[in-house]
Amino acid sequence: MKTLSITFKDLQIFFKDRGTLFQLFILPLLFILVFSGALNAISASDAPALPILAVVDLDGGATAQSLIGDIAADGSLSVQPCTITEAQSQLDQNKVVGVLTIPAGFTTSVQQSTPVTLDFTTGTKADPQQVEAIRLVLESIAADMTLESQILASLQQMGEMQANAPEQYQVFTTERILAQAHTQFENAQVRPLINIIQSVPNQESEQEATPDLSLSAIPGFTVLFVFLTAQTTARSIYEEKKIGSFRRLVAAPLSKVELLIGKIMPNFITGLVQIVVIFAFGSLGMRLLGLTPLPIEKAPIGTILIAIILALCSSAFGIAIAAIARTENQISGVSTLLLWGMGLLGGSLIPLFVLERFLGPIPMIVPHYWANRALDDLLIRGLGIGDVALDLGVLLGFCLLFFGVGLWRFDFER
Amino acid sequence: MPAILEVDHLVKKYGDFEAVKGISFSVEEGEVFGLLGPNGAGKTQTISMLTGVIPPTEGTARIGGYDIRKESDQVKKINGLVPQDLALYPTLSARANLNFFGRIYGLHGRELKERVEDVLRIVALTERADQVVDKFSGGMKRRVNIAAGLVHQPRLLFLDEPTVGVDPQSRNHIFESVQRLNRERGMSVVYTSHYMEEVETLCNRAAIIDEGRIIAMDTIKNLIAMLGGGVVYVGVSRIDDTILAQISALPAVKEAALVPQPPAPPAPEGKESNVEGKPTATNPVIKIVAQQNQQAVVNVLGYLNQHDIVISSLEIMQPNLESVFLHLTGKKLRE
Repeated sequence: MKTLSITFKDLQIFFKDRGTLFQLFILPLLFILVFSGALNAISASDAPALPILAVVDLDGGATAQSLIGDIAADGSLSVQPCTITEAQSQLDQNKVVGVLTIPAGFTTSVQQSTPVTLDFTTGTKADPQQVEAIRLVLESIAADMTLESQILASLQQMGEMQANAPEQYQVFTTERILAQAHTQFENAQVRPLINIIQSVPNQESEQEATPDLSLSAIPGFTVLFVFLTAQTTARSIYEEKKIGSFRRLVAAPLSKVELLIGKIMPNFITGLVQIVVIFAFGSLGMRLLGLTPLPIEKAPIGTILIAIILALCSSAFGIAIAAIARTENQISGVSTLLLWGMGLLGGSLIPLFVLERFLGPIPMIVPHYWANRALDDLLIRGLGIGDVALDLGVLLGFCLLFFGVGLWRFDFER
Repeated sequence: MPAILEVDHLVKKYGDFEAVKGISFSVEEGEVFGLLGPNGAGKTQTISMLTGVIPPTEGTARIGGYDIRKESDQVKKINGLVPQDLALYPTLSARANLNFFGRIYGLHGRELKERVEDVLRIVALTERADQVVDKFSGGMKRRVNIAAGLVHQPRLLFLDEPTVGVDPQSRNHIFESVQRLNRERGMSVVYTSHYMEEVETLCNRAAIIDEGRIIAMDTIKNLIAMLGGGVVYVGVSRIDDTILAQISALPAVKEAALVPQPPAPPAPEGKESNVEGKPTATNPVIKIVAQQNQQAVVNVLGYLNQHDIVISSLEIMQPNLESVFLHLTGKKLRE
């Protein structure tokens, strides 16, 4: 009851402060609107570069060259002839979407109408949409080649049969030729001469797909601004100490734990309200504005779970700041720098898949990284709660660490 | 009367610095007890220990029979604290502030409402109760500050410099409130101040505290009586032990002593630092504790005239706690 009184009082004070309300509720929406809008516009206006397909030609025959020529002529992808080693290297560095390997004996097999298989290996971080587009092109060209090869073989066979027949006898009527062509077409569909087998290196390739940039701005800014409420907790405690009301609270029949929980709860509630407001905007507002909406409906329970742990972690961080910062300047200046810095490092301002390319594992040291990763996996990559268990576990670990530091360093006497 | 507060050798140390150096005193039930001392004397530290804000380094105290170290929850229910700071939430109304502090002490519902109305009446702010505290004058804020310490009806109220920055009208109002609470409700009060008039007006007894120690403690009347009729400071052109002894022996003079002087600044080049017979700022000053001020002044001036000693300054201090403090410490309360 006493704890709730402190919480209620702090919320009363908090909701009278228009500046803080603007910072915590309006500012994130503005950031999301600007970033998502800009990224959407970039995606729409920039002609995307053609996806690159590395081709390893182990055959070197005319049919193989013809196949490569047909793929290049399609115009929807760029063909890059390589050796096996070069292709593997390009694939590892995510410089090509996939590698098409034409086996030795390909030309002979096709000429003899012996079925042959082409291997299409995709990169682990390749965009699934690009992979799918290339696969369709390859299958289409392979089907055309199968049909062409089989029709030519059939015509050649008919010519030989006609040559052996008496001159007065017409072996192939128009009906028989059409029926033969139809049979060949069906054979090409059922028993293609050229098969494309797509290799999926491992399950991870799907998980690591590049998320939609405009969508990732919503969870990113949510995490950033929820953590910024930590500063509000720290400032509230500092203000209480400055005006002397904290001394009055310590002198009241109230345990230190009750007092700290009372000071944490407003941050926790504010954080949850923030998430609801931002996600509601991300889902409904973005839809109304014609931008890509955040698919919260994909994982409602997981989203609620992340929201609770995220708000808790931010509250604990607020106590840690209040325990460590000694002056108003430290709370306003240093913690702002720290919180924005952590947000930047943790993928709130720059998407994680971009950061990880040049920072490696460094972003993992901040809680923002784990919160962003969990939200990206759940809402953008469409993974399940089980897939984000590690992220949530680490985030809870950060909570405990911050609470521990807060309780250890908190000065009730000052 | 049983003691509601018994302080036993309370010590507070911060590293090597000893803020409170083993003080002991007691306050009887229904008594208004003063802690008088200059800023930094250790008054607030003492109150902070007694109200459970900070733990004592050594010693303890019993409040209402409960040990402040072992039974702090019970002690906190008995205590009321009015801190020196305006410990209020400025963006909330006076009533919202009082409701909050009442709830913190476990009050709710009708009881809380009645108590809040009661304390608003005591501090005469019923009509302004729903206004935001930030809009109040300094004196009104002080009154809300006091009301917040009273809302749970404490048996022992600690008032820590409650009149700092207050206009005379509000100060009188605060005095009247404290006196009425003590008289009508039997509330015991520990009142700290560096204004001796406040302690003289409000308190039955007082302890004079300086540099973390109690240097005198008694009823106000007895403390003032230490000085007899008062103190006279006389600046003279010259002095020696014989003159001091003769002045001490004059009728109506209780004692005479030389006031320690700071070393004189070096004289400008080519000038004498002190010309015989011409009083300067560095002339010696005699402190005379009088049995009767007026008669002592007449006798001392007569003696100095007879011996051709030039008088450079004369200050007559009526007997009060200020002069008692000066007498005991050589310092003024508001230095």
